[in-house]
Amino acid sequence: MRTHLISIVLAAVLGAAAACIPNSSQAASCCGGGSAASLSVPKYAVAVADLSFDTELYDGYWDQKGSHRPDPPESDLKQFRLNVGLGYRFAKDWQASISLPYVWNDNTYSGTSSRSDGLGDTTVSISYDLLDDKSSWKIYEAKDLIPAITVGMSLLIPTGISPYDDKNSSFDITGRGFYRLDGMLLVEKSLRPWNMSLSLAYGTYFDRSVNREYGKYVEPYTKGLGDRFTASASAGYTFIYGTGGDSITTTASYAYLNEGNASYNGIQASDSGFDKQSLGIAAAYSSTDHNWGLRLGWNHAIQQNGWGHNFPTTDVVSVGVRYVFL
Amino acid sequence: MSFYKLICTIMITGGLLLSAGCGDNLFPSGEDKRPAVQAGSSGGNVSQKVPDFAVADITGATVTLASSLAGKKGAVFYFTMWCPICDSHMSNMRSTITPLFPDVNFYLVDYVSGSVSGAAGAASANGYSGGVFVTLADVNHTLENNFQGTMGTTVVVDNTGIIRLNEDFRDGTRLQATLAALP
Repeated sequence: MRTHLISIVLAAVLGAAAACIPNSSQAASCCGGGSAASLSVPKYAVAVADLSFDTELYDGYWDQKGSHRPDPPESDLKQFRLNVGLGYRFAKDWQASISLPYVWNDNTYSGTSSRSDGLGDTTVSISYDLLDDKSSWKIYEAKDLIPAITVGMSLLIPTGISPYDDKNSSFDITGRGFYRLDGMLLVEKSLRPWNMSLSLAYGTYFDRSVNREYGKYVEPYTKGLGDRFTASASAGYTFIYGTGGDSITTTASYAYLNEGNASYNGIQASDSGFDKQSLGIAAAYSSTDHNWGLRLGWNHAIQQNGWGHNFPTTDVVSVGVRYVFL
Repeated sequence: MSFYKLICTIMITGGLLLSAGCGDNLFPSGEDKRPAVQAGSSGGNVSQKVPDFAVADITGATVTLASSLAGKKGAVFYFTMWCPICDSHMSNMRSTITPLFPDVNFYLVDYVSGSVSGAAGAASANGYSGGVFVTLADVNHTLENNFQGTMGTTVVVDNTGIIRLNEDFRDGTRLQATLAALP
């Protein structure tokens, strides 16, 4: 109990740019995870509306020992997500956002196939700009090195279809079925045309009662999921082209995800946690007036031994469009 | 469209979506809703008798309900789609449970590969070929339908054909207790 309380407090105080950090919701039909699009309202703007589409392709997994294993022969496992997001800056340094995914599962094995769809888990968040980046072209004095620091919290709301709903197959799952509170920290620095960022997040799930598994009622019990830690670092370069100020920012990133063991009636199930490392590249176009933005990204889990444990290896291709309300 | 109009549209749409399809996850229930079943009747629930079946294992040999129980206290059927969660469950069973119950047969039910050779290939690629597990190729989804099985479903059948456990694999504790209680 005390440990759980500490986890909640840690999640609450760690802070940060809730919507700015990849937020794997593990929504796939088996056990995979995707990334919600980042959603950050620029300082000069009132709000942001964002629409993105993710295609996640499954290709094997890391087992308990970190060895990479293939999917069954002739299998083709995919998940598609349409993410609708809205961010609103309600005060100079405060913003709130909501992200709502709709999920399609498309799984084909040589012996069975399944297509299903449904709402995924929703994320609502709030963040505070602790420090602003006084971006400069050159460093003249120490204060030019000050980065932007944002702290925040987000709440994952189990609006998706979980194993505890009236669904008979694991192929139908679009969400975890648990609330999770995340505290996050985002550090960003631009030295035009370069930029870099570091984001950290720590989340704790809230235990829940379970009385049904994949459509079958079972003897009720309490289930918990392990705390989740994510970290990512990125570096980018912005190209200005033309005379109007249109820009394209290219970014390379690294991400680490770890989730602890699940528990049943308060007793931990050993070896049920997982971790994953992935690399990503992205390109984002921003119009001269910064109202419109387009982006394309690719996140790749390295299909080699030792880059993860107990988790699927996937490629996620994302395309998105964003409109900034001034 | 003004920003405020956009907010209203999204909130109304989101509210409708949320109210339409959130299942029991927003307000989970701990109420015991297991249906009453007649003990010994044919079915896939706990206390029911397993309908007879005939399924090939990955060597091509046919496994029936009778053969799975012959000379043993019972049998365990674990449903796998060769995923990381399945691997963690199977690994747990192999290391901590199967050594304790040599008088129980342990079967991995491959309900996705669609052929004996496909199931054999998947078992081999995932490190579960041979050893304490016998992998069954549930090509016609017989066991999947009998037990309402899906990823992680774990079924214990005693040597009279009665189901003692049918639920998602958890930490192995309940499986171990169920096997220890087999007559």
